Amino acid sequence: MADSAGRWDAIVVGAGHNALVAAAYLARGGLRTLVLERRDRVGGAADTSELAPGVRVPTLADTVGRLRPSVARDLDLRGHGLHFVAPDIRVFAPQPDGRAVALWSDVGQTVHGLGRWSEHDAARYADFDRLVRSLARFVADLGATTPPDIRSPRLGDALAALRLGRTYRGLGRGDSRTLARVLPMAVADFVAEAFETDALRATVAWRGVRHSFLGPWSAGSTAVLLADSAGNDGGAAGQTVYALGGPGALSEALASAARQAGAELRCGAQVVAVTTRDGGATGVALSSGEELAAPVVVSGLDPKRTLLDLVDPVVLGPTLGWRASNYRTPGVAAKVNLVVRKMPRFPAVEEGWEGILKGRILVAPGIDAIERAFDAAKYGRLSETPIVEATIPSLVDPSLVEGAKRGTHVVSALVQYAPYELREGTWDARRDEVAERALAVLEGVAPGISKLVTTRQVLTPLDLERDYGLSGGHPLHGEMALDQFFLWRPLLGHARYRMPVEGLYLAGAGAHPGGGITGGPGQNAAREILADRRRRR
Amino acid sequence: MLAQPYDAAIIGGGHNGLVAAAYLARAGRRVVVLEKRHVLGGAAVTEEIVPGFRFSVASYVVSLLRPEIIRDLDLPRHGLDILPLDGTFTPLHPGEGPHRGDGDYLWRVNDHGRTVRELRRWSRNDAEAYEEYGQLMVDMARFIKPILSITPPDLASNDPRPMLPLAGLARRFQQLTERQQAAFVGLMTMSAVDFLDQWFETDPLKATMSASGIIGTFLGVRSPGTAYVLLHHYMGEIDGAFRAWGIPKGGTGGVSEAIASAARGLGAEIRTEAPVDRIVVDGDRAVGVALEGGEEVRAAAILSSVDARRTFLGLVEPGTLEPAFEDEVGRFKFRGSSGKVNLAVDALPDFSCLPGPGEHLRGAISFSPAVDDMERAYDDAKYGRWSRRPYVDMIIPTLVDPSMAPPGKHVISCFVQYAPYHLDAALGSWDDNRDAFGDTVIDRIAEFAPNIRDVIIDRQVLTPLDIERRFGLTEGNIFQGELSLEQLFFNRPVPGWARFRTPIRNLWLCGSATHPGGGIMGANGRLAALDVVRATGGSRRAA
Repeated sequence: MADSAGRWDAIVVGAGHNALVAAAYLARGGLRTLVLERRDRVGGAADTSELAPGVRVPTLADTVGRLRPSVARDLDLRGHGLHFVAPDIRVFAPQPDGRAVALWSDVGQTVHGLGRWSEHDAARYADFDRLVRSLARFVADLGATTPPDIRSPRLGDALAALRLGRTYRGLGRGDSRTLARVLPMAVADFVAEAFETDALRATVAWRGVRHSFLGPWSAGSTAVLLADSAGNDGGAAGQTVYALGGPGALSEALASAARQAGAELRCGAQVVAVTTRDGGATGVALSSGEELAAPVVVSGLDPKRTLLDLVDPVVLGPTLGWRASNYRTPGVAAKVNLVVRKMPRFPAVEEGWEGILKGRILVAPGIDAIERAFDAAKYGRLSETPIVEATIPSLVDPSLVEGAKRGTHVVSALVQYAPYELREGTWDARRDEVAERALAVLEGVAPGISKLVTTRQVLTPLDLERDYGLSGGHPLHGEMALDQFFLWRPLLGHARYRMPVEGLYLAGAGAHPGGGITGGPGQNAAREILADRRRRR
Repeated sequence: MLAQPYDAAIIGGGHNGLVAAAYLARAGRRVVVLEKRHVLGGAAVTEEIVPGFRFSVASYVVSLLRPEIIRDLDLPRHGLDILPLDGTFTPLHPGEGPHRGDGDYLWRVNDHGRTVRELRRWSRNDAEAYEEYGQLMVDMARFIKPILSITPPDLASNDPRPMLPLAGLARRFQQLTERQQAAFVGLMTMSAVDFLDQWFETDPLKATMSASGIIGTFLGVRSPGTAYVLLHHYMGEIDGAFRAWGIPKGGTGGVSEAIASAARGLGAEIRTEAPVDRIVVDGDRAVGVALEGGEEVRAAAILSSVDARRTFLGLVEPGTLEPAFEDEVGRFKFRGSSGKVNLAVDALPDFSCLPGPGEHLRGAISFSPAVDDMERAYDDAKYGRWSRRPYVDMIIPTLVDPSMAPPGKHVISCFVQYAPYHLDAALGSWDDNRDAFGDTVIDRIAEFAPNIRDVIIDRQVLTPLDIERRFGLTEGNIFQGELSLEQLFFNRPVPGWARFRTPIRNLWLCGSATHPGGGIMGANGRLAALDVVRATGGSRRAA
């Protein structure tokens, strides 16, 4: 189709949030951009779906607090209808003994509550929060930086390295030494340096293992915690910010911004191959047989899908093929969404304090409890007592349940550890077990909740792979672990968004700075694509 | 009466203390070594525990003793003789492995061709991958080895000079192929099992290879940060002329004796049963040490080869150091995780999977039949109990050095993991659990060599608590502090203080608590001594 050969400057594969961010920036940069999405709607894992008549749930991700502020600003997401709600409470962690740890956006309020657990911990919390923020600021700067080219560094790489060096020194002697020491550390050790209360340690440490095939005693989990705290007002408590209308509203705002900038979005269009000539990308082929040409192809898919499914193995070569196949994507999390006919009661919530349930509700009673839940995953088993992190978004966003009976709420629960590779049985046969074990955990802190459930939905790691195209069911497009960070995310030598096929770029969470709803990889990738284009002119 | 002050006094006569003494004496310094026990060597010591039976009580193989030290100190002339250990034999339970029946085994030997043939029995892929993997590891070992001889820079310092060796390293890194670079990153960041998974599918092979990654650490084979130690084996291989892997004639005490002899020959004075009570500090500088009897030994430089916690929180008067520094020292993790069971036997163990005596008993015998077994052993330790089915690394030194036991009899050294220093409160103390722990180890061995119970004449069980008491190793950590990623290189033992010097002037650290960590390498003692020589006016006689 010769007439369409010159129609697109860039084709974006997939319409997850990072792909949409990249598309919007590319279109704003003047590229005629086409986005192709296999599913019937955009957003990937940042999705809102109708689970019961008049009830919408955050299908996978439920909070969006890590979205890079510059993305929201540059793309004017507010102008495209996106509104955030950030409750004062960040995380509420009820314990088996009926007490609870509560971390608030206000440090003073947190400290006040911690005093009931331990004077020592209350006294240390503000310092710890300051330390996390300081270290996370550096991690955020790192996240905004394209990893330098170590093989043939240019001036820009040297400048970027210098700038990072300056930021590192800006931490001050104490914090800079601390950063080098704690990055590879087990998060259980990191929190133990500050706190004596196990419940508090676990509440903070959880973010160091969320979505990772790591336990709190695994080296490198502190880096995951810092990455989760980077870029926004995270601190020791972490983020809890909702998009009104669910995470899908973020995707729609991004899509709207991309369209307004001139990009075209097409759903129901599955890319099956990146077409190449002489080792360079020439466009994509769709499952329908249609071929679309563009000199730039941007993949929002994970690195395995991108390199092993879309690129001809002969073009990729055996060594890179082997390396890509060893990229680690061991998914460990399942998602359980519940519709309840009325708000469950949490005995740990004091009368008049129901607002405390607006944040994340974490059932992770102790470091050992998380570690034991993790142990099961090592042997290919679903945790007997999984860690459950739930939100009740309808408390802050009644629009989610406005079509349902009064009193209806939605509970969105992340259930970990549920390893993709089961030693016994299949996820299709064992789907209900996930819901049952998650409900058993929730019963421990909200007795009677099971009886309130009118509809439930379970997404296992296998569903994540099949429905969302996430290799290994890994929502972060691959482990966020020491061996898949920065210069070597996804692969050493290919961390600069440019894939080994000329003109093919990676813009998803498998690229630096990695997973989570940040828009970071998409924004960074678009910057590099536009820079390459300028260079070529 | 105060004696003439020494140029240097060294606290502790372990192998690193002795190496430091030898190098200082070689540079013309007047040196004294002060050892608490009646024997030298610290954890590299040979003792007659059972009449007629001599044991390498703690450390039992020599790994990576730096060739430059062997050369500089002319150790072979001082009696160092390292006998090669050939191969690693992994026995399996009945029904396991391709042979099945009474059980199979995995037996790797130094003869590459034989090992590949053995692996082919298990997996054709693995046999092929083994060659490729081996070559890559040799390349990696060549790249990494110089790090052992670098004094780590302080990243927060404004002085660029100490960074220069890193720049050199970065240049050499650039020259590697991308595949080699990626392998290097993997080695530094991955778990041993994840790293090996890239090549191999044979479970006992992965279990046995990964075992080297967890020795002395409180980590499991699936814990990130354990892959690096896979290299050690290959580092030894490229040392070439002198075998770096093996057992010293006369036990590991033989290494210490050779170094001590070299040090004495160079003029160092070595005193045993001279326990140091404290380091004498005048203002901001160390001026000597006080022995437990009250005697004071004055010296211009003090080198402590004992661990950082004992040095800074035990030997130095509290309040001498900044509280922030003391906090950092307090954070340094020890967490001993291993025990040792030494057996005197009147016959060899008889393995069900390969009965009778034979070559397979002459190397290391690794009780690591499966990755899950290794990991479960670690899980036990995480929750404060010794492994119910521990990993055991067994050596029978008398098969290569019969002088260690009466004729026809043998000594067996069993390194055991995991044995966490901190036991769950419900179990009580290690003193209450020593025998039960010993029995567990024997039971584990008997799973594969049922005759073991009948051949034991006597046994010595060392728990982490015993290792702490006997060798002065805090929390029984055999490396003077965990070799976890955050405690290596410029973080060892305290960020900003990884260059052997300490906040107290004239006080240096020279033991395994410093870079490059533990094992009978001697690199720490040498690097520290060279720094002392530099700091105190260079060599006083041509070496």
